[in-house]
Amino acid sequence: MARIIVVTSGKGGVGKTTTSASFASGLALRGHRTAVIDFDVGLRNLDLIMGCERRVVYDFVNVIHGEATLNQALIKDKHNDNLSVLAASQTRDKEALTKEGVEKVLHDLGGMGFEYIVCDSPAGIETGALMAMHFADEALVVTNPEVSSVRDSDRILGMLASKTKRAIEGKEPIKEHLLITRYNPNRVDAGHMLSLEDIQDILRIPLIGVIPESESVLQASNQGSPAVHLKGTDVSEAYLDVVSRFVGEDRPLRFVDPEKAGFLKRLFGRKG
Amino acid sequence: MTVALAGRTPATFEIKSANLPLVALLLKSSDLQLLEQELQGRFGDAPDFFDNDPLVIDLAPAGEGEIDFGTLVRLLKRHRVMPVAVKGGTPGQMEAAVQAGLACAQDAALNPTFHPGGLSQREREEAREEQPHVPPVVQAPPVHSCALVIDKPLRSGQQVYARGRDVVVLAMVNAGAEVIADGHIHVYAPLRGKAIAGARGNAQARILTLCLEPELVSIAGVYRTSEHPLPDTLRGKPAQVRLEGEKLVMLPLNP
Repeated sequence: MARIIVVTSGKGGVGKTTTSASFASGLALRGHRTAVIDFDVGLRNLDLIMGCERRVVYDFVNVIHGEATLNQALIKDKHNDNLSVLAASQTRDKEALTKEGVEKVLHDLGGMGFEYIVCDSPAGIETGALMAMHFADEALVVTNPEVSSVRDSDRILGMLASKTKRAIEGKEPIKEHLLITRYNPNRVDAGHMLSLEDIQDILRIPLIGVIPESESVLQASNQGSPAVHLKGTDVSEAYLDVVSRFVGEDRPLRFVDPEKAGFLKRLFGRKG
Repeated sequence: MTVALAGRTPATFEIKSANLPLVALLLKSSDLQLLEQELQGRFGDAPDFFDNDPLVIDLAPAGEGEIDFGTLVRLLKRHRVMPVAVKGGTPGQMEAAVQAGLACAQDAALNPTFHPGGLSQREREEAREEQPHVPPVVQAPPVHSCALVIDKPLRSGQQVYARGRDVVVLAMVNAGAEVIADGHIHVYAPLRGKAIAGARGNAQARILTLCLEPELVSIAGVYRTSEHPLPDTLRGKPAQVRLEGEKLVMLPLNP
């Protein structure tokens, strides 16, 4: 059976779709057959980030309504054959998702030999987000180092522990992972952002990684290529670390210490 | 108070009079669909708000319309209350309620004063003799119920209500979460959300925590929000909160 991972946060704009794309790509790069599903029906974005928007003919909702088969709707990733994308519908709303429909799609994907299914959750705590998390085995909770994002992640953690299939049926709880994105150690140092320790003290779930704030993320999304493919950048390295930790390897945390001001910088003061 | 029966005492049972703490539902409309919507709106987020509490339905405000008691009972049971009796309805309504298996409590008072009007003459006398100070019917909480224990974190948006008893929370209570108890609140972890002790007016209730940094603490309706920051001697420290007169007193816990 495929392992189902939901990428969720409560708050919008924290990097769920960026994370879904890079995390799923990272799993595929390691040779795992992976599917990534956009649950943001009505506001689809994942296909843009993955750079496959021109190849979307059938989508998730078509499959749920029996208007297309999974094979017709799955789009092979241009970077890696192990990865397939199931796009959201832009013309429907979240009510088009039914529990039975979602369950069938997830089950069929497992039957097709996918090892991992990554569910990119929409923001909010309504139907779309509930559907994305309902069947999950694990959750990546994406959090920015600011109070409102942490509060929303806390809310989502409460829902993961009470509203999902595993919670309702009293099975082993969903395995929760904290992923902190847009982390800027210099701004943490200056007291403008919550620190890693502050966030962990509030949420108290295991940390799977820290993605540094970076210009490359914007660049990647505009190019339609997941940030993990920007070889050599901090963001790409950080996402590869996350994937390694997810499959059980030990990796030290990187990109969490403030940059030491160089000699010239110390001499002339910092810019910005 | 044992009712003496003629002849020998049976071994298998004994008849005694008893008082039941009840909640009352004042039914203000016979439109059950609307009732369902409003119940859902009020208690849908807190499915554990009631704990199969016995309930009397007061039909007086409902008007004279016909009421489908079968549906009403099922609806109330879904919200974890156990309708046992009706009062104050028209003869037709009362008859329909009896058909649906509810008892008629035509004269039962819903206030704390005890009116033994529904009892037989003999029972009434005994009640007067032996139980002159009947405890308030509605407000009496079960005395010996054990504290509610919560061992998972309470996160933003979650709420726990320990009805008629204390609550012990072994994990953190985060900002945006609420712990409510009719008795004491113990939090053996950081208390960052709202803590409402003595929710039904018990001024003796206290709040105890290993790390006091709440959004709000309230005892018997007297509250304090985080708008007024706690002094450094208390903030983030083990502390207790109790009520002295009309004033909340916060003291460090020094074991």
